[in-house]
Amino acid sequence: MTSSEAPAAQSGGETPSEGHHHVPALSVLGVFLRIGVLAFGGSTQAWMHRAIIEDHQWLSEREFLSGFTIAQVLPGSNPVNLALYLGMKLSGGLGATAAVLGMVAPAFCIILVLGLLYRLFGDYPTTHAVLTGVACIGVGATLSVGLKVALRLDRDLLTLVITLSTFTAVGIFRISMVPVVAVAVPLSIAAAYWERTHKARRRDQAGATAAPPASDSEQAGK
Amino acid sequence: MDDNRLLGLIMVFAPLSLLSFGGGQATVADIQNQTVHVHGWLSNQDFTDMFAVSRAAPGPSTLIAALIGWQVYGFWGALTATLAVFIPSSILVYVAANWWQRNAGSPWRAAIERGLLPVAVGLIFAGALAVARAAHTELIGFATIGVATVVLYFTRSSPYILIAVVAVLYAGLQMAGLPYT
Repeated sequence: MTSSEAPAAQSGGETPSEGHHHVPALSVLGVFLRIGVLAFGGSTQAWMHRAIIEDHQWLSEREFLSGFTIAQVLPGSNPVNLALYLGMKLSGGLGATAAVLGMVAPAFCIILVLGLLYRLFGDYPTTHAVLTGVACIGVGATLSVGLKVALRLDRDLLTLVITLSTFTAVGIFRISMVPVVAVAVPLSIAAAYWERTHKARRRDQAGATAAPPASDSEQAGK
Repeated sequence: MDDNRLLGLIMVFAPLSLLSFGGGQATVADIQNQTVHVHGWLSNQDFTDMFAVSRAAPGPSTLIAALIGWQVYGFWGALTATLAVFIPSSILVYVAANWWQRNAGSPWRAAIERGLLPVAVGLIFAGALAVARAAHTELIGFATIGVATVVLYFTRSSPYILIAVVAVLYAGLQMAGLPYT
């Protein structure tokens, strides 16, 4: 139990690869510009994997997957976060900047063109009808992502309460995200931490003695 | 006054950048609320249209900020809003990625990964509701949302086929004078 604290950082066994990769930032920019242009339809991560891992073999599969998790957990657009992480691994701060620029700049230009088209055709009622339909698909896409993430939730009461109260506060009562997230995130992380350490302690106790002592069931009831 | 509008864009999008746990979808509800109800920059119709354009465009869905910025203050508005969306979260990811890797076995890291999930799910569903409400969705809209959810959840097919079919269908309904919400 006590041993779980000290060597935890090394348990991944991954050597710190900071500075091991020296890909010129200009090459990073070139690769990510190409991905940014190709990235139609949300398959961005697949394109990045193909370019960085398969074609150029600049990084290992493990490094890619680690970046994938970080990109999902931290705030920000997931594909842009992943690009930033990969660029940082390849070429430090300059690489990170180049990767984000390569991902965002083409999409930014395209969306400005679409915005211009919207200005030209926005007065026709048919445009609104078409866009209403497309917005419904966007809602469907959002829901399908939400469902996929929801499947990974813990199935306990506290998780359900946090999910539903976040949804109710922001979705139904239109409370600003800042206070809601400021309350919900620390609470949720603390609960996850408490549950994790609590469970680990119980598991250790159960493992130490074949028959769980009375104090264990007491603790579980709390 | 015009400078205030640029500042307003930053004040709306920069905090959301740091709060978008679970990706851009998580901030849609608050973007709708702030731009339509709080600042009055857009009508619900404008918002629905821009949401649709941003979802039909390639690249991150957070680029709805560019469209809203464009509406509020032209090209510089678009650029300002886009930078406000990407810079804060990017700095955070840059700083946090190192800590993240150094603490692979830490219980805190695991707790953060698990603890952020319920909040992200709540925010994502709130975003879906905000758009459905802004679009004044009725029977046909709910049916479209249902079909799109099922198709995108269970298949890996490109959303562009779905977008093309729905675009033709809705244009047809509108031109025939039938309801399309």
